[in-house]
Amino acid sequence: MDELPEKDRKGRMDYTLLLIVLGLVFIGLVILYSTSAYNGEVKFHDAFYYLKKQVFATILGLAVMFLTANVDYHFWQKFAVAGYLAALALSVAVLLFGDEYNGSRRWLSFGPFSFQPSEFSKVALILFLAWLVSRNVEKIGQMRTLCKIMFWILPVVALVGTSNLSTAIIILGIGVVLIFVASPKYGQFLAMGAAGVAFLGVFLAMESYRLERLAIWRNPEQYEKGYQTLQGLYAIGSGGLFGRGLGNSVQKLGFVPEAQNDMIFSIICEELGLVGASFIVLLFLLLIWRFFLAATRCRDLFGALLASGAMAHIMIQVILNIAVVTNTIPNTGITLPFVSYGGTSVVFLLAEMGLVLSVSNC
Amino acid sequence: MKKNRTFNRKKMLVIFGCATVLILGLVGRLVYLMIFDAEYYQEKAQDLHEREREIKAARGEILDRTGTVLASNKSVCTVSVIHSQLEEPEAVIQMLVQELGLSEEEVRKKVEKVSSMERIETNVDKETGDRIREYGLAGVKVDEDYRRYYPFDSLASHVLGFTGGDNQGIIGLEVKYEEWLKGENGRILTVTDARGVELEDVAEDRVEPVAGDTLQISLDYTIQEYAWQAAEKVMEEKQADAVSILIMNPQNGEIYACVSVPEFDLNDPFTLNTGENTEGMDEEEKQELLNQMWRNPCVSDTYEPGSVFKVFTASAALEEGVVALDDTFYCPGYRIVEDRKIRCARVTGHGQETFVEAVQNSCNPAFIDIGARLGVDGFYEYLNQYGLLEKTGIDLPGEASTIMHQKENVGQVELATMSFGQSFQVTPVQMAATFSALINGGRRVTPHFGVAVYSPEGEKIETFTYEKGEQIVSERTSQYMREILESVVAEGGGNRAYIEGYRIGGKTATSQTLPRSANKYISSFVGFAPSDDPQVLGMCIIDNPQGVYYGGTIAAPVIREIFENILPYMGLKKSQ
Repeated sequence: MDELPEKDRKGRMDYTLLLIVLGLVFIGLVILYSTSAYNGEVKFHDAFYYLKKQVFATILGLAVMFLTANVDYHFWQKFAVAGYLAALALSVAVLLFGDEYNGSRRWLSFGPFSFQPSEFSKVALILFLAWLVSRNVEKIGQMRTLCKIMFWILPVVALVGTSNLSTAIIILGIGVVLIFVASPKYGQFLAMGAAGVAFLGVFLAMESYRLERLAIWRNPEQYEKGYQTLQGLYAIGSGGLFGRGLGNSVQKLGFVPEAQNDMIFSIICEELGLVGASFIVLLFLLLIWRFFLAATRCRDLFGALLASGAMAHIMIQVILNIAVVTNTIPNTGITLPFVSYGGTSVVFLLAEMGLVLSVSNC
Repeated sequence: MKKNRTFNRKKMLVIFGCATVLILGLVGRLVYLMIFDAEYYQEKAQDLHEREREIKAARGEILDRTGTVLASNKSVCTVSVIHSQLEEPEAVIQMLVQELGLSEEEVRKKVEKVSSMERIETNVDKETGDRIREYGLAGVKVDEDYRRYYPFDSLASHVLGFTGGDNQGIIGLEVKYEEWLKGENGRILTVTDARGVELEDVAEDRVEPVAGDTLQISLDYTIQEYAWQAAEKVMEEKQADAVSILIMNPQNGEIYACVSVPEFDLNDPFTLNTGENTEGMDEEEKQELLNQMWRNPCVSDTYEPGSVFKVFTASAALEEGVVALDDTFYCPGYRIVEDRKIRCARVTGHGQETFVEAVQNSCNPAFIDIGARLGVDGFYEYLNQYGLLEKTGIDLPGEASTIMHQKENVGQVELATMSFGQSFQVTPVQMAATFSALINGGRRVTPHFGVAVYSPEGEKIETFTYEKGEQIVSERTSQYMREILESVVAEGGGNRAYIEGYRIGGKTATSQTLPRSANKYISSFVGFAPSDDPQVLGMCIIDNPQGVYYGGTIAAPVIREIFENILPYMGLKKSQ
């Protein structure tokens, strides 16, 4: 690949990747409508309430995606630090002026628009880390450099983590993946993994409610707070091989609370069955594979790290979401990319896709 | 520009490999959940989504021996409103007010209430339900079900019993034969959302109800009706508190009529038959009065049988061989037993009399002597042998037990009073059953109503058999008793039961109720015909008659009147 002449590499955007993204976006909208129509009708007397907002955000996101896809990604290097600072500032702002919803302070309002800074933070951190790691790549093997890079990540993780633990975990995960990719070593990451597990144990034991989550995970039927998990399982189990058919979920009718959010995958299972759900999971795997190809084909490290960051982002989010919905791991609020309801999320996800498309174009 | 090196690419492959493994692992988890665990979760989910509405099963009918329907079902409707489906609430309110005759305020409150389904009125008759359905207003639901209906209102009310809100038997045969009559309720399963609103486009699952079986009883509508009229008449004439009449077959225990006036309206069992206003009464007090009204005195109440019981003493003495038909007794009008002077009904005394004459005269002193000949042990042996210390086993709930002295406490005075039927209590049905045995050839019978059960399609499913009980006296003693009792009607105290051309036997009784000082009496008569081969036995008990209270004078004519009517009806011909 490296041998390809300069000319051939130009103007060859990864159209397979684009197709997969557009496919996911479209399927996501159909499923979102199916899932949210009941809640929209009940809460806002408008079955299209959620879909309309999501379509608006998607159109905006697609515009952003085509823009970024056609701009050389090196252009964004200049904004890496600014983006990082903006992420910090917005995280502080949301703590001070944010709107609370379902007990979490995650939104900033600008007139009729609301904005979730943590979604921005993920993209900003991918860009910033790709820039930072590629600048320090010579000494990346040293513990000092590792610590230095972690030192930059931690403020954002801490700030985001106070209101949104799941996103903090994703950001941390992206950081670890980028350093891992840039570093020639393996051993120190095994140590880091061990340290992470130990830290997680202490973290869980510190607050009893976190241990309670573990207990609920083991036996969702015996806890009132296991309701959401259990309803998700009912939905998944009801699907069988081919599902009830698109639009025919019963669990979305108020049984799975806010079915259009984190638990949307359970409704996919109920309506489209094992076959439909596996198809969507495999679509995500294909997407990740295209990210991997873009990362390996890219000649310079910055681009490769951008694509790797996006790959880490999508894979962590998809795996955690499905693992939570299937009660494979304890419950934590993570949305399914492109499918779960959330305007900010889709805009920045598509911007990120634009970046990867631009990388694939190099 | 930093280069993307081979080791970087290897690392990317590691990450991608991890992602692939984890994602495929999750697909495996999905396979497990959606194929192997699917049934479990599906069932749970279905339980959660389905709302069950019962469809009441039609309760089995109760037929008399000739096939006349005594208890049946009426189609009724339940009118409800589903708030979320209402389109024109005002029109619905107006319509419901007009059709159901309810106040607008009441209907408005229910229609405007935000609930998944609000019941407006139950037990609406079918025509009104159909009319409401024809309006075709959205959100109005008319569900059909059944309510028990008794075509003859109060006929045999204490026997048939009635049913409650879920069509379950509450008293009488309705309780006893519940298992046959009730049938199986059906279900309509509808899928609802989490708020309980039914989903329209999901097919209803319907489990059809199974109607109950038909019960045929030995009661005869015509005989019951005659007996009822006769009871009403004598109660009115004698200003009595209550009158009970039992008509049964002494050969097999089938009961043809069981009347206890005042009866109550089975179609309105919660209204007192005394016309007493229950408003303002506390619940407990009202329930007490209702229980009193529902009680079947023939089965659940005991009384002192008085002279009718002399049939027992006489037959036991004959069977034991302690008297012969031509033994003589002397009655001076009283008998001194230990320190008590026990009087005869005829204060001047019957003088010299044979055993048969003593029965005809219902002479107490003679029976005190007969009882003494049996002795306490002999007396109790026969009480036991006749089954008088046990229940009859009649197929009605709430049968009372005999109230009898403990044998150890019985002295000569107690034995003397028991000999002529006082100082203990039995149920009327026990007395009639024992009497039947003594005249039918000596075999105990189980008084009963239930005869057979038919499926809703009319196929016979079950025939109830009641085996003839033990031989309690010999055929010879029984024959003597029939002859003696025929002479009681022909020549003795039961002459008012005599019907020209029929051979009728019987025994009268008049007993003073406790406390004796109240001067209240129970007058009764037990008669049977034809006396040479008894096919029917009638018993009439008049509680607290005013004026003349002799059983022979007031109770015997009641049985005569009934017999006059029913003997030809039963195909029993006059003998020449």
